[in-house]
Amino acid sequence: MIKIPQQLTLILSIIVLLNSTVYAQAHDHKMMMVESKANSCKTNDIICAKTVTSAFAPNGDLWRVWALNQGLYYQISTDNGMNFSDVVRVNIAAEKISARNENRPKIAFDNLGGVYLSWAMPREKKYTADVRFSYSADYGKNFSKPITINDDNLLAGHSFNEMLVKANGEVNLVWLDSRHSYLKRMKGEKSTGSSLYFAKANPRNNDWKFTNKALAQSTCVCCRITMDFNKKDHLAIMWRHIYGDNIRDFAMVTLDEKQVKPYRVTYDHWYINGCPHQGASLSVDTNNRYHMVWFNQGDKGKGIFYAYSDNQGKTLSKPLSIGQLSAQAAHPYLHHNGKVLDIVWTEFDGLTHQLWHQRSTDNGETFTLAKVLAESNKGSDRPFIVESKGKNYVSWHQPKQGHWVYKL
Amino acid sequence: MNILKILLVCFYFISVNASGEYFQAFSKEALLKQQHENKGKRWLMLLWSVDCPPCYKELALLRDLRKQYDLWPIIIINTDDNDDISEERAQVIKQFKLDDLLNLYFVDSQGAYNRYSIDPHWHGELPRSYFIDEQGKVMGQSGLLNKKLLLAWLKK
Repeated sequence: MIKIPQQLTLILSIIVLLNSTVYAQAHDHKMMMVESKANSCKTNDIICAKTVTSAFAPNGDLWRVWALNQGLYYQISTDNGMNFSDVVRVNIAAEKISARNENRPKIAFDNLGGVYLSWAMPREKKYTADVRFSYSADYGKNFSKPITINDDNLLAGHSFNEMLVKANGEVNLVWLDSRHSYLKRMKGEKSTGSSLYFAKANPRNNDWKFTNKALAQSTCVCCRITMDFNKKDHLAIMWRHIYGDNIRDFAMVTLDEKQVKPYRVTYDHWYINGCPHQGASLSVDTNNRYHMVWFNQGDKGKGIFYAYSDNQGKTLSKPLSIGQLSAQAAHPYLHHNGKVLDIVWTEFDGLTHQLWHQRSTDNGETFTLAKVLAESNKGSDRPFIVESKGKNYVSWHQPKQGHWVYKL
Repeated sequence: MNILKILLVCFYFISVNASGEYFQAFSKEALLKQQHENKGKRWLMLLWSVDCPPCYKELALLRDLRKQYDLWPIIIINTDDNDDISEERAQVIKQFKLDDLLNLYFVDSQGAYNRYSIDPHWHGELPRSYFIDEQGKVMGQSGLLNKKLLLAWLKK
């Protein structure tokens, strides 16, 4: 047995006491981590999801999709969101799926019973991901083995994917792609932001060649993209761009034979070398008027703004302020269904999240007074508008509470 | 020899535990406590997210400055109100050797509430920093801080 002198025993006692105090702090921390994990959702129920994506199929079914535990799940409603089917896991192999804030899975349909899914799959290194795609020809019974859309084979960022599918099954995908900045960094050169990429193919026609095409460079790296088809069936795309020294305003391009360079469509002059985490929303009506909403915090424009363009973004109407900036008005979304234009956004008063709505029946010239549609006292996901048979519905997920669908 | 070994083991455990991850859930009370404890001092609150690439540059800058200079108090706040990333945020803070600082995190599904508690005029853009002077005057700034500004404020 080791004999310890009395003085040394005292020193050791103090050390042990000190150590136990420090250990108790560390132990408390661990307990907190365990508790928070225990409190977190363990099921694959939609209530556990951080984000939900909804879309109506041509037959009027409302699909909602979410990601949890390396899987994609969906439910179908045949009564516009009043009731939903049992939860179904998409029958693809487990893989990581980005589903937070601006970055989330997408779903779309053709007119022939096809269901299309795309998402970003995080890779092994931070801020790297691949854009993934899977397709069901039989209305969700079976899905194809997921493929990677970005064709660079680089461990780089490819995410914030958006997808539109035409009635004939032509899949149009856009995403933010950091391959250029990655390659520049490899050469020891500086780079700014990310790039906007586009690819299209038609798996229904056995065309799986999603040839990648760069549309723009120096885009913001953390804001969602928005797009719609215009009257001539050309894709119009809007995204947050980096102008000059970190001015984060929005740009727009229409993929037609005329436009060579994207237009800058907002001039709010938001200077930030950082992440706004707020993209825009674009909807083109049957008269080819481009309607758009966005959020900025620039020295020339703060808050949510609405404007329209009758020349594909070359010039805009005078931006109209939407919502109350002092009430944290944010995350606007809009949709024109051929008859009416609806805008939704969220506000927060320190205690309650509110979902707000304004409507225009004259193609964006005037709007009804803003009104609150719903409230939430816990979390709030971004709101979206989905259309079915000429009617607009708002889709609003409230994490840990549930997903809410409401006819506007 | 054996006693020396015991002492070394004891000191090792002290040092390991003292530099362990030190996260606390953000609350109004936790913020008030910091305001009270740092009264009369110059201090900095730095807010970040795992989904914010520029935030990582700022954490790296802070790590480098701390190696070189004696700085005023710094509090780091993770704004991901998401329990799913608790391990990730701990790894990041450890990676940047900032785990000996006070690290707070936004509570799951209470991001907006926590954000509003700090600043009702802040819309969530990141990185976000708050400079608090000796008189308690607060100045908020969004975006990546530059080294010169940070050093001018924080160097004792």
